[in-house]
Amino acid sequence: MDYQQDFAKEVYEKVDSGAEIKVCMQCGVCASTCPLREKMKYSPRKLWTLIRAGRRQEVLNCPDIMLCTSCYTCKVRCPRGIPVIDVMHGLAHYALEKGITPREETKKFGEAFWDSIYETGRVDEATVPIKYCLKDGMIAGLKKSLSMLDIGMALMKAKRLTPKLFIPPNFFIPGSHKIKGLKDLQKMLDKAKAMGARKEG
Amino acid sequence: MTDDSMSQAILVVGGGMSGLSAALEAAEAGFKVVLVEKNPYLGGRVAQLHQYFPKLCPPYCGLEINFRRIRSNPRIEYYTLAEVTSVTGQPGDFTVAVKQNPRFVNEKCTGCGKCSEAVTATISNPFNYGLSQIKAAYLAHELAMPQRFVIDPSIAGTEDGQKAFQACPYGAVDLGDKGQDLTFKVSAVVWATGWTPYDPTKIEYYNYDKSPNIITNVMMERLAAPFGPTQGAIQRPGDGQAPKNVAFIQCAGSRDENNLPFCSSICCLASLKQSTYIRSQLPESKVTIYFIDIRAMDRNEDFYTKVKADEGVSFVKSKIALITPTDGGNLILEGENTTTGERFKAEHDLVVLATGMQPNTALNKIPYDVAYDDYGFVLGNQAIIGAGTVRRPSEVVTCVQDGTSAALKAISAARR
Repeated sequence: MDYQQDFAKEVYEKVDSGAEIKVCMQCGVCASTCPLREKMKYSPRKLWTLIRAGRRQEVLNCPDIMLCTSCYTCKVRCPRGIPVIDVMHGLAHYALEKGITPREETKKFGEAFWDSIYETGRVDEATVPIKYCLKDGMIAGLKKSLSMLDIGMALMKAKRLTPKLFIPPNFFIPGSHKIKGLKDLQKMLDKAKAMGARKEG
Repeated sequence: MTDDSMSQAILVVGGGMSGLSAALEAAEAGFKVVLVEKNPYLGGRVAQLHQYFPKLCPPYCGLEINFRRIRSNPRIEYYTLAEVTSVTGQPGDFTVAVKQNPRFVNEKCTGCGKCSEAVTATISNPFNYGLSQIKAAYLAHELAMPQRFVIDPSIAGTEDGQKAFQACPYGAVDLGDKGQDLTFKVSAVVWATGWTPYDPTKIEYYNYDKSPNIITNVMMERLAAPFGPTQGAIQRPGDGQAPKNVAFIQCAGSRDENNLPFCSSICCLASLKQSTYIRSQLPESKVTIYFIDIRAMDRNEDFYTKVKADEGVSFVKSKIALITPTDGGNLILEGENTTTGERFKAEHDLVVLATGMQPNTALNKIPYDVAYDDYGFVLGNQAIIGAGTVRRPSEVVTCVQDGTSAALKAISAARR
């Protein structure tokens, strides 16, 4: 078991919003307010304890830190006002920066999201999931898409997903679905990325 | 009374434990005292308690001694149903305006209760925190001081009011009572208006208003009190059944930046005390106390140790995150047991929220230039002397001490 005495200090100083967890009083409200509580191995409260205990590898490899959907319920309920979401995203970012991928699927989805914005200037409920599925290659992607068919159908029924986007040429011809001034947006994104890298460095 | 004696008078606002202590100590030291109380009776929230911790003795024992001290002391005059509307001047020379609301019953009242029998209208009984209804002509509670009935303003001008008037054999009902405006010139003002239980509907994930079987700790006191809504039988308000599995939720709203950010210091002991009410009256029932930390200080730790030794009381270290009422009237509690790290769901048939103390000065400011802390508590060393729970959350013993201390400060201001 790894114990790194200075890991808490590392989190307070280097992780975005990391110092916020200093005021945690270990009440456990975050654990039971999270809508993904059944999916989490640890609760935020437990993660903060592991950070304080210096369990660096365990924390940075924990998929939970990439599971947060930013619903903000825990931040609203936390009696000490800790922005749990910001700390979670901070930890996820920090792990990626250190070359660790705590949760492969979230990373892929994030990349699909970024690529979609970067290439077309848009995100929609059809393009991003398809990009995400195809991250594993054509065949694996098809398999994955089919395994999520029920979700897709439910989304369509709820009018959250527009089927016409599947029909060529809208999807398969590159550039068919782009915003005006995409080049300018890309310049902004490049600059933002560079600023982020400079801050982290 | 001469102007001279009045110029050394002390005005005490609030007839609860702190105010009574301040008024009596000052009066017994030879000063003229005016005591102003908002309710129709003296004794404040202490009068609503079933037992004190840690000795589990009835609060009325001590209150009656104080009432006798008031009755036998000619230097105290007290006004019930009265509120301070303005304070002007400075220490040594205050002018205080007091509005006394109409009681519609004069000093001829013998407490016979014929008016109450005559009227039909009922109101929610504030003394029982709404757990019962009371006739609109009522004695605030069995041991009320003064023992004089009150007619609710809602029936004063109605047929019911007339019925009360006709039923009274002593001519004590005065439906034309307009109350009175009083002015006092005093040299010191002690502010002891006490506290209000934190409003549990503000903690929306506890769904307090969704189930009658979620109550607060002050309501639990009334359920256990012999003169309470159930004559002391601990029952679920929803169906009148004796609870078999009771949960206490500590820090319900307290130590929470979204609600009351401070610790009220008394709720832990109050819940430990109330668990003994349940265990002694209903030995088959189980009690679970959900807590963040148990704050039983000094000698009160012995009480905690005693309750912990009871196998029927269990302690779970967890702040409850959600209460969901079931169709059967039970409550599902969800939280994370922070000792074992496990998330749990637990079903209980009665839930008691240990809500904290909100100083009344946070809700109603003193009509004078007074400094408060972030939470509305009155700061020390000011022209108006705070006493008791308007200064900090405290149990009864500390309120008595603080009332006495306020009397000393008032005396030194009056003597200057």
